[in-house]
Amino acid sequence: MYGGGYIFDEPNGKQQREEQLHDDPVKLAAFEARIARGEKIEPGDWMPVEYRRQLIRLIEQHAHSEIIGALPEGTWITRAPGFKRKLALIAKVQDEVGHGQLLYNAAETLGKSREAMINDLLSGKSKYSNVFNYPAETWADVTVIGFLIDAAAIVNQVANSKGSYGPYCRALERICYEESFHLKQGHDAFIELATGTPAQKGMLQDALNRWWQPIMHFFGPPDKTSNHSEKLMQWKVKMASNDDMRNQFLDAYVPKIWELGLTLPDPLLKKNADTGKWEYSDPDWDLFFEVIKGNGPCNKERLDVRKWAEENGRWIRKALMREDEMERSALPVA
Amino acid sequence: MQLQQAIQELITKMADDELVIGHRNSEWTGLGPVMEEDIAFSSMAQDKIGHAWALYRILQESFGGTDPDQFAFLRNARDYRCCHFAEMPIGSYEFSLMRHFLFDHAETVRYQSLSGSSFTPLQHLAGKVKGELKYHTLHADAWIIQLCTAGKDSRRRMQTALDDCFQLAGGIFEPGEGEDLLIAEQIYPGEAALYQQWLNNISPVIEKAGLTLPVLTAPVYGGRKGQHTQYLQQLLEEMGEVFRLDPEATW
Amino acid sequence: MNDSLDPRVNRLRLDKNDGSFKVEEGENWNVFEVFHQEKRGAHHEHVGCVHAPDASLALIFAKEQFGRRKKCVNLWVVRSADILAFDLEDEDMFANNPDKTYRDASGFKVMDKINKFKAQTK
Repeated sequence: MYGGGYIFDEPNGKQQREEQLHDDPVKLAAFEARIARGEKIEPGDWMPVEYRRQLIRLIEQHAHSEIIGALPEGTWITRAPGFKRKLALIAKVQDEVGHGQLLYNAAETLGKSREAMINDLLSGKSKYSNVFNYPAETWADVTVIGFLIDAAAIVNQVANSKGSYGPYCRALERICYEESFHLKQGHDAFIELATGTPAQKGMLQDALNRWWQPIMHFFGPPDKTSNHSEKLMQWKVKMASNDDMRNQFLDAYVPKIWELGLTLPDPLLKKNADTGKWEYSDPDWDLFFEVIKGNGPCNKERLDVRKWAEENGRWIRKALMREDEMERSALPVA
Repeated sequence: MQLQQAIQELITKMADDELVIGHRNSEWTGLGPVMEEDIAFSSMAQDKIGHAWALYRILQESFGGTDPDQFAFLRNARDYRCCHFAEMPIGSYEFSLMRHFLFDHAETVRYQSLSGSSFTPLQHLAGKVKGELKYHTLHADAWIIQLCTAGKDSRRRMQTALDDCFQLAGGIFEPGEGEDLLIAEQIYPGEAALYQQWLNNISPVIEKAGLTLPVLTAPVYGGRKGQHTQYLQQLLEEMGEVFRLDPEATW
Repeated sequence: MNDSLDPRVNRLRLDKNDGSFKVEEGENWNVFEVFHQEKRGAHHEHVGCVHAPDASLALIFAKEQFGRRKKCVNLWVVRSADILAFDLEDEDMFANNPDKTYRDASGFKVMDKINKFKAQTK
């Protein structure tokens, strides 16, 4: 799940972008023509330095978002009410780990190892979707995540699946297929509460109020403030603008929230009949950047837990490393 | 004890074991040593919980029992019949892997014996779970052998895990009331026979792994009589936490 | 005890992540490509890859990562390092294939000839 529309910038981005000037212009032209024709780029193909760097960054963040995204919902596995919800939740969290696996593999085809990516996650160098730095306080939060965060992720992932890099598109094809199950089970659990007892409805409304701002943050800052996305759009790395994806999400899902008699904590939220676009209050973007910096309510716990998993699994991984074979160790080919 | 009641006791202890160990193993989802293993272990935890659900449904359908969700998540601890082995916290991965190895071989032996049961619902279920259990033991055997033959440190860890687990694992085979009746009616062959078969099945793997099998001197009994560790109560509170907010509501 | 909303996390002995922990290169083992067979008689198709210390665990991992949902009857795993493929620049070796209609059924228009013959002999 969970692409998260926003690709976080790296501090060394500028220096890297200068390397792009050294790309062979003939090869670059052929590469861009290939993308313009709708062809996919495959791992062994020539590609601009900047294309490779941006893709690694995008896919790696997506992968991190999956394995970190498994944590807020994983919290509720033992507590999920009843067999049906419980099994669906374990299967869903399992899928997220599975998506992480697919995405790390896709990123590895670009030359960065899984180990290096995990280290960059733990050191904070590489980011993941901000939305997972918030806690899932009640069961209702799980249904909001399962329905709306997954829905937002699908908007993003369906767009990305039409991108130019073959291994990423193939991973996303499988991921989107599984996401449709996540969305369905999330919606089902969400509706159960919305149409349930007053207490159930109350806890759902509270969760919705808590999650609305992180959801509005999900696709990243407004287009007018983000830069350098033109080249990424031309190369089909970024497939839709933040505002377009946010609008698409609001268009599809706000009516599904309102039809259940629930409210959203934004008095300005409405669809403009003339433009066909949704209008809303600006979420707190300063807070968004604060959370990216590591100051959200759960950033530290998420990384502490991830480190625990890596550290406690280490002896197992190391025991089965075959030193004599490491030389032949390869990255995925497709 | 009547036969009907003895069958219900048998099903309840099997189901409670699977429910509780399934929950324990599911706690690893997202925290496993490597993503591929995380996924595999999670699938097997789901299978365990799924088996428990199927067994509770048999209680409901064949004996007029209560709704499986209510029965599984809202009983008092003393009404559960799981063994202490299943209740223990996940501990280290070596503990969880060793428990998985010992428990899943026991489960396999039990279901294999039920494939000839005179009680049809259990016989059907045994046929249904056969393939899943084959994967579980394949997975467990591969890990035990690989880790035990990968050097001194990892074998030492696995031997410690086996030593920690073994008396607890003996509790899986705690004899129950009404067992003679179940044996006479060919419902299943009884705990002593299952224990012997289990030893026969795990011994070659233990040997191949170079582990030393402890002697079963003090199997940890009590679970089948409703006496439990402190860990069960804690887990049950968690399992029923959302349900108890409003037991009448649907979730 | 930690102070988490997650009861699982509270059961773990959690240290602070101070950024010093590093996974070593190679700790996630080798890579195996996975091929999935949907039904008996069908081709095995490439579906992705797994990291594993050897082929037998690769197959065990592949079973759940690539065979847990859709229909599947068998899987193959093969080390990624053992896959040999052409480069993009070599695509031109295949370029004339569509022109070689003599290799293709569409290159032979038998009905035209039969109809012509029938028309002549009528």
